[in-house]
Amino acid sequence: MKLDPILQEIFLHKFTAITEEMAITLQRSARTTYVKEAGDFGTALATPDGHFFCYPAVMGVSGFLDSDIGPTVARVPDLAPGDVIITNHPYESEGLATHMPDLHLIRPIFHEGRIIAHAWDFIHSADIGGAVPSSISPRFRDLFEEGLQIPPMKIVRAGESNEDFLRIYRANCRTPDVNLGDIKAMLAALRVADRRILELVDLYGVETFLEAQQALVDYAAEKALAVQRTIPDGTYAFWDFLDDDYNSPIPVRVRCELTVSDGHVHLDFAGSDPQVAAAYNIPTAGKRHPWLTLKMMHFIFSNDCSIPLNHGVFRHMTVNAPRGSILNPEPPAAVGIRSATAIRVNEALMGAIAAARPELIPAPSGGIMIPLVLVEQDETSGERTVLVLQSLVGGTGARHGADGVDGRDSSLANQRNTPIEKTEEEAEAVIVEYALRTDSGGPGRWRGGTGVIFSVRIAKPGSAILGRGMERFVFPPWGMNGGQPGKKARVVVNPGTENEVDLGKIDIYHPKVGDIVTILTPGGGGHGDPLTRNLSAVEDDVRLGYVSIEAAERDYGVIICSQTFDVDRDATDALRARLRAERGNRGGTGFSFGPERSAWESVFGDDAMTELNALLMKLGTSVRSDRRAQLFYRVVPKLASRKGTPLDTLIDDPAATRLRLEEELADLRKQIDEKGEEALT
Amino acid sequence: MTSADARYRIGIDVGGTFTDFVFAEVDTGELSFHKQPSVPNDPSVAVERGIAYFLDSRNLLPEQVELICHGTTIGLNAIIQRRGARTALVVSKGNRDILEIARLRMPSSYDFTEPRETPLIPRNLVHELDARMTSRGEILAEPTEADIEALADKLQASGVEAVAINFLNAYSDSSLEVRVGDAFRARLPGVLIVESGVIWPEAREYERCLLVALNAFIRPMMTKYFDRLTERVSGLGIACPIYITANNGGTLSLDTAKSRPIDTILSGPASGVVASTRVARAAETCRVVTFDMGGTSADISLSHTGEPDFTASTFVGDFPIMMPVVNILAIGAGGGSVIWVDAQGVLKVGPLSAGADPGPACYGRGGTDATVTDCYVVLGIIDPTTFLDGRMTLDKSAARGALEFIAEQLGFEGPDRAAIAAEAALRVATAKMGTEIVKLLAHAGADMRDYSLLGYGGAGATHSCMLADEAQLSSVLVPMAPGTFCALGAILSDVRRDYVRTARQTFGGSAGSAGWDAIGASLAEMENEARQWISEEGELVGAHRFEVTFRLRYPSQAYELEIRIPEARRASMTAEDAADLFHAEHEKLYGFAERDSKLVTSTLRLAVIGSVGSGDLPDIAAGRAAPQTTRLVRWRGVDVEARVLRRSDLGRGASFEGPAIIEQPDTTTFVLPGWRAVADRIGTLRLTRIPQYEA
Repeated sequence: MKLDPILQEIFLHKFTAITEEMAITLQRSARTTYVKEAGDFGTALATPDGHFFCYPAVMGVSGFLDSDIGPTVARVPDLAPGDVIITNHPYESEGLATHMPDLHLIRPIFHEGRIIAHAWDFIHSADIGGAVPSSISPRFRDLFEEGLQIPPMKIVRAGESNEDFLRIYRANCRTPDVNLGDIKAMLAALRVADRRILELVDLYGVETFLEAQQALVDYAAEKALAVQRTIPDGTYAFWDFLDDDYNSPIPVRVRCELTVSDGHVHLDFAGSDPQVAAAYNIPTAGKRHPWLTLKMMHFIFSNDCSIPLNHGVFRHMTVNAPRGSILNPEPPAAVGIRSATAIRVNEALMGAIAAARPELIPAPSGGIMIPLVLVEQDETSGERTVLVLQSLVGGTGARHGADGVDGRDSSLANQRNTPIEKTEEEAEAVIVEYALRTDSGGPGRWRGGTGVIFSVRIAKPGSAILGRGMERFVFPPWGMNGGQPGKKARVVVNPGTENEVDLGKIDIYHPKVGDIVTILTPGGGGHGDPLTRNLSAVEDDVRLGYVSIEAAERDYGVIICSQTFDVDRDATDALRARLRAERGNRGGTGFSFGPERSAWESVFGDDAMTELNALLMKLGTSVRSDRRAQLFYRVVPKLASRKGTPLDTLIDDPAATRLRLEEELADLRKQIDEKGEEALT
Repeated sequence: MTSADARYRIGIDVGGTFTDFVFAEVDTGELSFHKQPSVPNDPSVAVERGIAYFLDSRNLLPEQVELICHGTTIGLNAIIQRRGARTALVVSKGNRDILEIARLRMPSSYDFTEPRETPLIPRNLVHELDARMTSRGEILAEPTEADIEALADKLQASGVEAVAINFLNAYSDSSLEVRVGDAFRARLPGVLIVESGVIWPEAREYERCLLVALNAFIRPMMTKYFDRLTERVSGLGIACPIYITANNGGTLSLDTAKSRPIDTILSGPASGVVASTRVARAAETCRVVTFDMGGTSADISLSHTGEPDFTASTFVGDFPIMMPVVNILAIGAGGGSVIWVDAQGVLKVGPLSAGADPGPACYGRGGTDATVTDCYVVLGIIDPTTFLDGRMTLDKSAARGALEFIAEQLGFEGPDRAAIAAEAALRVATAKMGTEIVKLLAHAGADMRDYSLLGYGGAGATHSCMLADEAQLSSVLVPMAPGTFCALGAILSDVRRDYVRTARQTFGGSAGSAGWDAIGASLAEMENEARQWISEEGELVGAHRFEVTFRLRYPSQAYELEIRIPEARRASMTAEDAADLFHAEHEKLYGFAERDSKLVTSTLRLAVIGSVGSGDLPDIAAGRAAPQTTRLVRWRGVDVEARVLRRSDLGRGASFEGPAIIEQPDTTTFVLPGWRAVADRIGTLRLTRIPQYEA
């Protein structure tokens, strides 16, 4: 029976209010900054089989809409009213928990003995044990380093706390009181859901309540499909790279092949690199998963903001993520920094959509999120203060019809920054610059948003600067449809002085007193041919200082008077004509990746990588990563000790390098064939 | 009946369609109300006309007016439409992009087409100067005379009308800003110069920068408007003081409002909340949700104590405002909210609004979209012939036509399909607003059953009973003149201004009381400043009092709590007492307190409140036994016979059951079946559920 559409709309508002009331309750009474300030938590209502039928629009983390709590619930037998399930286990929960600091709680909601819905919430907790405080490090290789593993189990049984569990939990995390404060807040939010849902059932009847879940999901699916149909039918492949995996300097490739047929979308991630021996793996269980479909969701909501937030949005999508790959690792692969890989997954998917039709999607943003941390030490007591100086992001990518946004990036966590004045209340160091990075936005008919430049002057001896999530130091945010890449990220000490040092990526750096440490974040990619950019737009960019006079000439072919900031039309026409002639027919179209990726792919092209990855997948998980590293080091011997040397310098003889790759691939094929024969005999 | 020595106070609220007036006779408290069509391009014209109308109709002399309290949205509109002075910004070196980067967060995490806000001041009018403080109030970089002079020349050349100055850490000491400002004043005659540390010395450079920049941006036009207003009022022969309503629910003298127009931009809705709290107190009801529903929007706010609830984190358009303002939440739907059906056949209400022009279909001004007001008309809740006292006849057939179009898209059939669609649309609109009330109460950790809904604005009284029923609130209060309620708030307000200091001090636990003494010094300084100010705010201002609030936290935690110091204990408050207040509040909110821990303060605020002797709301007379009529109102699918009463006939203690319609010149009140209405001492109607009808 189809629900009355008036009731459907009323239920939409009432369901949304419940999830938001849960979020408000959770955030109000939680204890940690993660929850209160950064908003790293989520609330939702799930169908009896475990998919979200309602999700709050404005509170908490937006990205977990496509989660599936079903496998977690299925692993806990004998559920009864008043029970609450907990898990943080990336594998046992089949990708509900994506790293272990995330605690997920589920309360089945019973009506006359049957489960009519589940209330869910999660928080990023301050610490879950493991080898470092706060439990996350890129260098971790397995879950055992990452902290306490909690398979799905009851934290509350029929309203009574599971004290045995809580004792183990308290003993295994560094900040038990604070964490338990947050868990209390989560439980309170789940109780709100239980109460409100039963009120609704009282008012409208249980069948209507269940029909409303279904009606809203069908409604979202129909609306989403209408948006998906704007992608032309066909198959489109795209891939993007992480600079490295921290424990090795080898670039990591994420590949996405998008197949669209009358709006039905299939995402095939085969050809992506094998899981890495570092914390960059994304546990998805190989199913449709929030971090594989996130960009589809952004695409859909950007085109129709009236779609209710529920799993219906994903109904007409399927995925394939091969087991053993970085997008579907085998346990116990580490997963702490899966978010860095997720950004590349998003960008690979954006590229695939762009390949279908460039008008549909923006070029990539700066694609990084660095919580830049300063450690200062008291000279006498040795007491240390640790504070986040700033959350650094780049600019957003340009899209058809609009420039990117300068110095901000909503596509990632969309957090607020820290006021300089709040930082300087706590730190002795001085923030000498926090500004837009001129000329960093990818040139294009529509310009990529600029990155930022952030400089701190060190005041105390023994200070340290830490930066996690440093990416886009090797491969810049690409340009599309003739647009150019944004500028890469950099870390420089004492820029513009004779002591200037380009540090490349840092993990921890110990500056001297008086040193100025400068972080430059990437600009977003450009969209469209820069030689077709509107003259007045270039003029405005120069007048306002987003683009220099020199770059206007070099990148846009526009001559601007340094006194009046007016465009010299004749000189511009002549220059643009000359630049067009120089670049020939193929200029001004397609993707643009920058010299390092071109050099890398002149050896490790798509065919070679797809074959290599398929071969590597046949090796045992424990040997795969070493064998992979061995192969790359043999093909590019200088890679192992590259220390910031650009890849286009490193690969100085592509032909010879390709030859070495051929040999290595043959060697690997042989090894696997022999193993195959062994297995046969 | 008015005597020549009667004195009057006039409250005025300028809206988009009407300028509302409340006239209060000072001795008797007697109130009269008036709505004058607004004159958007010069709001002071409607002010002049409305006052003249009153003086004429009562045959009063200009000298009999002793006070005019005026609220205006000119500043607010200028900010939203970016129509202010050409303003430059001078910042510390390295901080040029303060308005570009803002607080980093974008309006939507989902939608990549959503743009960021347009910066208030374009980047080429933002200038750096090598000038900044440390957080401890020391000068870290100081510009040379030559630097300042060179910048002054640049500013002159760029032809700006106003310059805002915002140096890093200027909250700790604004003297460097003032020195640079004075140098500009000397070199740039006729250009307005404003310093951030003078406007609002609180830490957080972006938010402070906006306050100073917004103040500079709107001040020239506001000054012009206030001058014109003064001229028109004196043209009527009136020489009384004019006060301007403020964001904090208080009022300010004209001189203060001219120099600090930023304090007035959110004043209109704030006045409505002030009036609400007065009406609620008279009805002995402290916990209310105020509900102001007009043509284009609806606003709600909470009051737990009989005082407005304040917040220091609100938005004006795209811009955060970190000053304390009455905490009001816009929830979208108004009488003009457009009803539509989406491609999947689902009925939607808003967010688009038909506004006042062309307005709802029933206005007959060319609007064809069905709106919430059209639903009231089609369902019989509003009588098209008595709307606004008959000054505007509504076109019921146009309303029906618009709703029939909706009905057809929904597949409704039959002669009453428009009414079916209208009821459906009101259910959706009510559900939507109800969820906002639920969330607002959840933020406060409050239970809806303890709260009453106080409805005002053109449609607040019409929709209140439906909304209270939906959101499970205990009762509804409908004040005497809901349609001119913000104007009433203007004359009920006291003079009020807030002061701020940022003081990072530690006290309590092992830190003892050293930090507390420093706080005491800051407070004394603010108190002197406030006392000096209020003594110059006009002769009308009587006794004054202070309100002190702190923001503080445990060092181990990042979130702060705001603690208000009870006035009676302020003078004798020790570090221990203050810590106890904090621990108790923390315990109440989060269920634990770290009683041995030190505490860290950030923001200290002091409000000075000067009484202007706004009297009590007057009692109403006993009721008149007036003839009741009835009319059919559609409710839950059937036509029910509702009694129709005139508000002016209802006296103290009048009591009747729903379904009922109460008509008055400025609004229509709808009492649902199953609810009873009783008029209290001052005429406020209290609507409650009749017990046997409760589910």
